[in-house]
Amino acid sequence: MTSVLVIEDDDRIRLSLVLALEDEGFTAQGAATAEEGLLTQRRSRADTVLVDLMLPGVDGFECIRRLRHHDDVPIIVVSARDDTHDVVAALEAGADDYVVKPVAVKELSARLRALLRRARGAVTVGRVPALVFGDLDIRPEAGEVRVRGELVNVTRTEFRLLCELAEHAGRVLSREQLLRRVWEYEVGDERLVDVHVGRLRQKIEVDSAEPRHLVTVRGLGYKLQR
Amino acid sequence: MKPFSLRTRVTAGFTAGALALSAGMAVTSYELIRRSLLSERERGAVRSAYYNATIVNGGLVGAEPDVVDVLRSLDTGTERRPVLRRDDAWFSRNADAGVTEAIPAPLQARVAAGLPTMQRIRVDGAPALVVGVPLAGGAAFYQIDSLRELDRTFQIVALALTAVAVILAGAGALLGSSISRYILRPVAGVASAARDIASGNLGARLDPATEPDLAVLSVSFNDMVDRLAQQLERDRRFAADVAHELRSPLQTLAAAGSVVAARRGDLDARTATALDLLTAEIARFQTLVNDLLELARADQPARREHVDVAELARQACRSRRIPDGIVQVEDGLPIIWHVDRRRILQLLGNLLDNAARHGGGATAVRLGRSGDLCYLEVDDEGPGVDPADKTVIFDRFVRGRTSVARAGGDGTGLGLALVAQHAAAHHGTAVATARPGGGARFRVELAGCLS
Repeated sequence: MTSVLVIEDDDRIRLSLVLALEDEGFTAQGAATAEEGLLTQRRSRADTVLVDLMLPGVDGFECIRRLRHHDDVPIIVVSARDDTHDVVAALEAGADDYVVKPVAVKELSARLRALLRRARGAVTVGRVPALVFGDLDIRPEAGEVRVRGELVNVTRTEFRLLCELAEHAGRVLSREQLLRRVWEYEVGDERLVDVHVGRLRQKIEVDSAEPRHLVTVRGLGYKLQR
Repeated sequence: MKPFSLRTRVTAGFTAGALALSAGMAVTSYELIRRSLLSERERGAVRSAYYNATIVNGGLVGAEPDVVDVLRSLDTGTERRPVLRRDDAWFSRNADAGVTEAIPAPLQARVAAGLPTMQRIRVDGAPALVVGVPLAGGAAFYQIDSLRELDRTFQIVALALTAVAVILAGAGALLGSSISRYILRPVAGVASAARDIASGNLGARLDPATEPDLAVLSVSFNDMVDRLAQQLERDRRFAADVAHELRSPLQTLAAAGSVVAARRGDLDARTATALDLLTAEIARFQTLVNDLLELARADQPARREHVDVAELARQACRSRRIPDGIVQVEDGLPIIWHVDRRRILQLLGNLLDNAARHGGGATAVRLGRSGDLCYLEVDDEGPGVDPADKTVIFDRFVRGRTSVARAGGDGTGLGLALVAQHAAAHHGTAVATARPGGGARFRVELAGCLS
């Protein structure tokens, strides 16, 4: 069974989410603070993590960073705040997805499952051993990305995004297409795509302000090129 | 009447000042030049008249002197004409009666009385100077000096001085214009800072050090912007707090509700009905909270980016399980618009929901362009909008009149208000019209989409 760690300081929300997620077939465990959540995660690693942003002590952003430091567990932010500033900061800290409270549990579980699918068989995309773009070397089967021979540490979501773009190399993929293919959203928040593209650029581009491989096509979307 | 701008007034002031000054100078100079030239000419005329009178006096000795001959012997040039009155008869070198008639009678009387006299007169329409000298034996010698040349000189001087005055006035205008521009430059700085702030950049400030004269203005301007920014920040934080406080319990309600709903089959009919009511109201409350929070952000400017609007419209349809084939794009219309993606998606969604709720479902979504404005239209084939409601339906908490709408009751009454707000954020408008052939047509016009 898939396990979920719910890091949420509001007791009632935490309890209701744990109950509802268990109904959806997850093994759910709650943590009231970031510290408790990080400790729990270290002791027995949950498959996915839900994080609130406004936590006492160590806040949600720092919690995401520390979780991300250890591994690439899928992280969804569940926050009452929908400021662009917060969304972008949380995604930049390393979250894979962001939902605004109140979220229907059915939707939350669908998002968790989509992330898990992505996390497991990282890619169904590649039967190809390697996709090479100049100094960028993507190995879908091994789940590896190398830049000038150096292994780069990318999250599963970033890797999936990169593979989608690599599979359609030279062609423009719109943000909606990427949301559908990578996050499995019919309609979603395009900031997800933008921030993940930004994160990827920092890892694979020499100068992320002047990207050579992962370029923006104004008004249309993104494409990967040599 | 619209008051003239400060620049116009300063320029006009400088022009008037320069004109008055230069005109005064010109008039004074003209008068001085005229007087000095005239008096010099008069002195010359008097000297010459006395000299000639002496010669004539000398020639009049004897019983029958040839007066005309005497007059002809005078060296007077063309500008001077001597005449002699003797024994009630006029003598001159040529027969020009006009000259003698031009000599006024009072002057003749004075000369006859033995007083040498000088007077300015007009001869044949031209100015002249007549000097009368009494001679021995009751005769009188007159010499008429034409001032025609002098008059021409005066005209040229007047012309030159007028030209100088006009040039000086023009220079004054230029000076006024450039001085006012120079003085108003810091004010233009204030204006551009104010524009910045109006367009959402609350970081814009003035530096009081650059214009010491305007330091008070700069300081109070900055103070005002600080307060404004603080107020906006307070409002923003309040809205965020309200959002948090309203959404958190809703999350518990939604999650706990779903737990109970999962066991609906175990409940008796009464409890199940009560649960359905709770679930429906929780859903409505969620929408209401989201719409209210969105309305509270009315003051935020649109975050424009380049968006494929046709795809956005199809997306809005698909997410509501409406076939996206109803989206029609006008021929030749660029589909990449510079708009706030989130707002336009919500605007389209609300219009589609409105059509579903009150018009039996949207039948067409049209994208087009009229002049500089781009428009979005959503058609339905429902009962249409009552003309009396056309404007109020965009007000907050207004719902359809139809009993179906009231009974359905899942709307928040904020959907169209948000449509109007999103349109306004794009400097546009939202209107409800009748669709040709029945039904309602909602049209949203947006500005600045194709830049």
